[in-house]
Order: sequence, then structure tokens, then C-alpha cells
Amino acid sequence: MVDATFGRRAVLAALAALAFTLGAPPASAASGIPVRVRVIKGSRQGPPAVDPSLSDLQGQLSRLAYQRWEQAAEQRAEAEMNKPLRVAIPGGESLELTLVDARKETVTFQIRVGARAHSKLTISKDQRIVHQVTDEKDGAAYFATVRPWP
Amino acid sequence: MTRPFEQRRECTIVAPMLTAREGELSAEEVSLLDQHLQGCNECRAISLALAETDGLVGEALLAEAARRDFAPFVDEVMARVGAGPQEKASLWARALAWARAHRAAALMGTLAPTLAGLALIVYFSDSETPPPPLAGEVEVVAEGRAPMVLQTSEGPVVLLGGTDGT
Repeated sequence: MVDATFGRRAVLAALAALAFTLGAPPASAASGIPVRVRVIKGSRQGPPAVDPSLSDLQGQLSRLAYQRWEQAAEQRAEAEMNKPLRVAIPGGESLELTLVDARKETVTFQIRVGARAHSKLTISKDQRIVHQVTDEKDGAAYFATVRPWP
Repeated sequence: MTRPFEQRRECTIVAPMLTAREGELSAEEVSLLDQHLQGCNECRAISLALAETDGLVGEALLAEAARRDFAPFVDEVMARVGAGPQEKASLWARALAWARAHRAAALMGTLAPTLAGLALIVYFSDSETPPPPLAGEVEVVAEGRAPMVLQTSEGPVVLLGGTDGT
């Protein structure tokens, strides 16, 4: 019986290997990763203050000239490869966040802010992005922060 | 009727000459043999008997060979080694039989094209795929502005810059 099925098994094994090879997804085609997106407002006026919920961003926010920081919105979602995630910004605008690459230690996001700007940023798993999304008006501007695997 | 001693001695000498083929004896030996046969009845009788049987065996073998038909010889040999024209097995069945008899070769023969294809796929996919992005790589495009990127250990900070380039 083993002899009778040997040839068939060899052919099936070869076909399976070929199918596996052709059908295997690339490393970067992960199904999706969880992300936490926050929209925060930075102001130059008023007494210095930082929303306690933004304490994890202190190291990045302290590099900017804005002295008051408060959170305006938060969104948690599953970012899927090449599928834009829309996040509303106060004032009627929105930003598009797209996961364009995901590897073992790094992820790459594309951020599009209307027609004004688009960015592509690669960060390691333990980092986050702080990205200005509106022009400064009356000494205040909105930013978006993106944190993968929150 | 006994032969004299001298004649018997000569018989002993010429006896090997009786079976000699043409050209093997020298002229002197031929002369000696002829003289002896004229005078020795026994040796002449032996010589005549040999001449009568000479060639009979060869002729008999040739006659037997001519009688036999060798036409089916090749077919019989091929049938014995299992590759005769009468074998009607399909190509697939013969391939399977060969694979069973040569397992290692069949396995390698099956896997080799697959592995070669795999190597080509890996080679071309690698050559077409750009190198993986590194953490810290930033690309910002903001029309009419002077965007600025601050790199910190916690991640990048992107400022769009003013519309006047500030």
C-alpha cells in the first residue's frame, strides 16, 4: 500500500509546498495592529498645565512652545494594512491614518491632513507619533498622537 | 603382419603430420609423408579416414544454424527484460513503477523543480522589495510650508510650519 501511494504522495507534497510558497503572505502583511489615536490641543496662552491623561507624552510635548495641553478626543481602533482610518479633528476637519508597513519591531504610518500635508513615519513598537494637524490659530493648534499597541 | 621396427618408428614420426593443415608442413616433411604413405597401408588408411571426416562437423553446424529461425530472437529478449512492444501499460503507470523502484531519485526529481521555483520567487521578491524601513525614518510633505521634525527617544514630533515658511 505504501508503494502504491508513494508517487501520488510525492506529487501532492510538491504541490502543497508550491501552494504554500506562492500563498504565503509577506512578513509585512500583518492583519492589523491596535492603535490609540488622541487629538490634543496645545495653547501658548494661559497658565502652564498638562492634562494628566497626557503625562505619557510629556517628553515629546515639552519640546514644543505650547504651555497648555488638553485632550480633545480619543479613538482606539484596529489599524489594517493600507486601510485609512479617519479621525475627526475639532473644526470639521479630519485626518487619515494608514498603516503601510508592520514588522517585528517597527511600524510605518502614513498621516494625511486634508490636502495640506502628508507624512510617512516609521517608529519602533514602544514609540509614539506627535503630529500637528491644524495650523496655529489664536496661539493654539491641534495635534494628533498615535500609539501602536497601546 | 607386424610391421618392421623401422617402419613403426617412421609411423610415429609422420603420425602428427597426418592431421596437419595445408601449408603447415615444409616441403621436406611433405615429401617424407608422401613416401611413407606409399609404403604404409595403415597410415594411408588413417589418412583417408581423416580426409573423409574433415569438414563434416563444420558443415553440420552451419546446416543447423541455417535451419533455425532467429527472427523472434530480439522480441524474446525484450520480453524477458520487461520492455517488449506487447507491454501496454500507460505512461503514468510506468512512471509510478519507476518512482517506486527509485524512491530517492523520484523524490529529488519532484522536489527539485519546486525548490528551484521557490529560489526564483525568493530571489526576485527580494530584489524587488525595498529594504525594510528603520525606526526614525520620517518623510513629510507640506505644500507651501516648512515642516519640521523633532526626534525624541519617545518618537517623532512633526510640526507643519507656518504658511509663510516659519
